[in-house]
Amino acid sequence: MIYTGLLILLFTCCKKEDIPVTETYKLEIPKGFPQPTIPENNLPTEERVAFGRALFFDPILSRDSTISCSSCHHVDKKFTDGLDVSVGIEGRLGIRNAPSLLNVAYQPVMFWDGGVPNLEQQVLAPIESHFEMDFNLISVVERLNQNENYKAMSMAAYNQLPSIFSVTRALACFERTLYTGVSKYDDFVYNKNSNALTDSEKRGMEIFLGEEGECFHCHGTYLFTDNSYKNNGIYLNYADSGRARITTLASDVGKFKVPSLRNVANTAPYMHDGSFKTLEEVVEHYNSGGKPHPNKSGLIVPLNLTNQEKEDLINFLKALSDEK
Amino acid sequence: MKTVTKNIFLALMIVLAMSSCKKDEIMGNTKQVLDFHWHSKIGTQDAKYGVEYTTKGGVKFELTDWRYYVSNFVLIKEDGTEYKVADKIFLINIANADYSLDSVPVGKYKGFKFYVGLDSVTNHLDPTLYAAGNPLALQNPPIHWSWNAGYIFFKVETLFDDSEDGTGSPDTESFHHVGTDNLKRTISLMEPFEIKSGSDKTIHLQMDLLEVFNNVNLKSESVTHSFGPEAPLAKKIADNWQSAFSLD
Repeated sequence: MIYTGLLILLFTCCKKEDIPVTETYKLEIPKGFPQPTIPENNLPTEERVAFGRALFFDPILSRDSTISCSSCHHVDKKFTDGLDVSVGIEGRLGIRNAPSLLNVAYQPVMFWDGGVPNLEQQVLAPIESHFEMDFNLISVVERLNQNENYKAMSMAAYNQLPSIFSVTRALACFERTLYTGVSKYDDFVYNKNSNALTDSEKRGMEIFLGEEGECFHCHGTYLFTDNSYKNNGIYLNYADSGRARITTLASDVGKFKVPSLRNVANTAPYMHDGSFKTLEEVVEHYNSGGKPHPNKSGLIVPLNLTNQEKEDLINFLKALSDEK
Repeated sequence: MKTVTKNIFLALMIVLAMSSCKKDEIMGNTKQVLDFHWHSKIGTQDAKYGVEYTTKGGVKFELTDWRYYVSNFVLIKEDGTEYKVADKIFLINIANADYSLDSVPVGKYKGFKFYVGLDSVTNHLDPTLYAAGNPLALQNPPIHWSWNAGYIFFKVETLFDDSEDGTGSPDTESFHHVGTDNLKRTISLMEPFEIKSGSDKTIHLQMDLLEVFNNVNLKSESVTHSFGPEAPLAKKIADNWQSAFSLD
């Protein structure tokens, strides 16, 4: 009996040294959505998601331990912060509106300007930004290694003490568990429930998907974005050059990654800088055709919508809100 | 028959002798270690933190950070052919002058060249995957742009005197962060040298920060992150790198 116990102990000890054998974590992917592409070295497990979740809500990641990821990505605000631009430590103002993290697993590149290729590397930016957490991954890792709980979590998740690798992986792993896709619209489309949308919402959908609005060109697919970079003519002169900040191309000035419209009614304010406060302002902007910036998308032209049509369109946008 | 046995014995002895000796003891080394003694200078002085210097334009400053990446070393042989040194990337910092290319072929060379910066593939690899100690691992303070995944090839930060008459104290921050694929530069140092069998070679070279800042007015050109309207200043600095290097 003792020998069996020892053998089991020996076996468990040895197993810990191996690359963690991972029970796969069941992602709650909405109906009709594809499996997201996940890096092989960061497939989700209970332990990894738990480690990432703990880090996500812990201000330990910021220099003065005052803000966490959830400070700008509130669970009760659909993982946005409801502010024009994000607020970092000591009240420092950033330059851009915090995007929702729901469905972030499907994002091909990160940020409004696409400057970072994946979620794992994205983790570095808010931690290092002077206007956000103003800290350093090396210092974060040192802090976490003072914490027995995090040491155990990192070991369980990635078979190593807290490291740059394990911290960036864990946060990305947690973020890939966040989805949205249970709206009235989804009920209408995926459950074929023809009563899910009101007549006004259906008329709004026709404007959205039809030639009258042409909204779907950029806000298409199950995500309501094609993830392209577009200048939508909100300024003649852009204080934030957008995509051009990365590419340095004049032809990219004022272009930003098209955002998803899921939960759009719950994620005001709008645009890269939060300059539009309501859906009414947004629809009015597109109806006007925008300002004549040389890079403005050719799809942004005056729409001549009637008041009823604008109302219908807004009602449809509200039907993209998650019912959960 | 006896002769044959004798010959076989002799042949065996030779084979044995050859295999017991290292190849290089018979033929001479085909490779030797090439080291660099890489000096960071400010004019004629060694670069140090917390010491006051003056730019060629007469602006007082103290260094707070000076680090840069060098990579893709190529040795140019006497006949013009090139020996590419694989996978050697250094993060040069002023506290360390010793960097090694390890073994390179012996022979006569016309000179060598290298990048200040990184090739466009390495520049965009995931920095979180390197072990601590690797020059490409994340550093503290960072020398990688987290918002536009890529390395800062050349980073200089100072505190300078921004007073008009130059009688103030160096307390205004400058940031010169030069990077992006377009701003890597090939540096050529064409002076003949020889790597002889049996002795390792050390090349002494230096980079002078005053030449990096040649025609840069620290007061009016104190910030560049290499992007947007700050890009021309970054290019100006990158274009000064070649003339800032010299062999000792």
